[in-house]
Amino acid sequence: MIRFEQVSKVYPGGQKALSDVNFHLKRGEMAFLTGHSGAGKSTLLKLITVIERANAGRVLINGHDIANLSRSDVPFLRRDIGMIFQSHHLLMEKSVFDNVALPLVIEGFSHGEIKKRVLAALDMVGLYGKERHNPIMLSGGEQQRVGIARAIVNKPPLLLADEPTGNLDPKLSMDILRLFETFNDSGTTVLIATHDLGLIARMKYRTLTLKHGHVLGGEELTSSADGVKG
Amino acid sequence: MSNKPQLTRSKLPISGRIVMFFIRHIQHAMGSMGELWRNPVSSLMTMAVLGVSLSLPAALQVLVKNAETITQSWNSAAEISLFIDEGRSERTIQSLITRIKVYPEVSDVNYINRDQALDEFQRLSGFGEALSYLDTNPLPAVVTVTPSLKYSSPVGARELLKKLEMEPEVSFGRLDIEWLERLQAVVRLLERTVLAIAALLVLAVVLVIGNTIRLAIMNRRTEIEVMKLVGATEAFIQRPFLYTGIWYGIIGGVLAWIIINLLVWYLDSALAELLGLYGSQLEMQSLTLVELGQLVGLASFLGWLGSYLSVRQHLRAIEPS
Repeated sequence: MIRFEQVSKVYPGGQKALSDVNFHLKRGEMAFLTGHSGAGKSTLLKLITVIERANAGRVLINGHDIANLSRSDVPFLRRDIGMIFQSHHLLMEKSVFDNVALPLVIEGFSHGEIKKRVLAALDMVGLYGKERHNPIMLSGGEQQRVGIARAIVNKPPLLLADEPTGNLDPKLSMDILRLFETFNDSGTTVLIATHDLGLIARMKYRTLTLKHGHVLGGEELTSSADGVKG
Repeated sequence: MSNKPQLTRSKLPISGRIVMFFIRHIQHAMGSMGELWRNPVSSLMTMAVLGVSLSLPAALQVLVKNAETITQSWNSAAEISLFIDEGRSERTIQSLITRIKVYPEVSDVNYINRDQALDEFQRLSGFGEALSYLDTNPLPAVVTVTPSLKYSSPVGARELLKKLEMEPEVSFGRLDIEWLERLQAVVRLLERTVLAIAALLVLAVVLVIGNTIRLAIMNRRTEIEVMKLVGATEAFIQRPFLYTGIWYGIIGGVLAWIIINLLVWYLDSALAELLGLYGSQLEMQSLTLVELGQLVGLASFLGWLGSYLSVRQHLRAIEPS
């Protein structure tokens, strides 16, 4: 699903974010991405979502080589990736329903289909009945779950979460992780970036650790680095 | 293009995509109209600016149109006077008139014989007394020729004059068109001025709309970022802005039309008075319905253009980070 082959990213100005990163996340796998702030977690997620592009190496998402994607292809790749952000990125002046419906509206679903899917997604995250509320009226945990509903509403094969439990108490954090587990059970590939080591310890999932721009725990990458360009 | 793996562009069947394409367009058009409605003050300000900017070139267009009507009605003044050689008999003159009448360039011929010319001179000149001291009538017979519409332009009339002067009975001809040439030069200058001013104001309209759309884009920056993150194409994001520009154009165009009609109504009585002094029955013309259509059509195109240029430049700059 996600394959990084000797990927390096240097920001303009010389700041080296990632160097020679190799890992492979298989379809249907669930994994944590960890490392303290500045270790390159955000950069790695940005490379997956094509917000940034690598300076060297290959990034393959769902079989597509990012380097070959043109600007106009990027939106279509992003439709296959459900993204959850620490800061929610919700539209505060729009209702919960409209927020969750956005990916479906963009894809051009009919009104009836949108309604059905949005309510199902809200039900899944336990917010059924709050679709008319504005996100501003909801608690932090609820807002986070609106973001999750939006990420899964179009049933993407890949789910990325950036510090999804960032400012939630342990009980809520656990609830949200259980939610991710249910999506994973139904076949979605899940990658969760977090620095909450306690949380990771309680779950039995593969952990990729970033340290000074290098990945530890990416060793499951089979040595198929033949086709890698320098 | 061909050797890279293709991304699935849409998960919908083709028929559904086509239907949704139109539904989305209508929704975006209505949505952007609603957006304008929700901020009536700022929207109206922009529309008023556009209306005034568009009304100026439109007003000048009305001016040119009226000036053209007036000059056309005065074209008959491009009359050629042919002075007949002395001693020609009435019969030869009549045959000359018949010959001239069949010229394709001629629409009307008038004959003033020597006695009539004398009468007219005595009546109009005020030197009537002086003439009575003369033994013979010194005035020649005159044939006045009105060129057909096609030959009433200065160039055409001059051509016709040359041809008429070849007639043996004609001593010489006179064409008083200098003033007409001047008038036409003035009209041409006016037309050019209108064109130049119109071009500037059209540019102003594009810039005003471009700037308004730029502000709208800045206001919705976070929304645009989120849309890009969840996979919206640029076409999808820019569509509401383009429709906003088109709405601005349409409403600005209609406003300009209203302004023009008020202006014409205001000037009409004053102009009627002026024209009355010249013995003219002309009525001031306003913009026709077709011209209203053209005005609104042009305005909506300018609205689209302004927002398109703005969107091109500013939407690309907004990227999620």
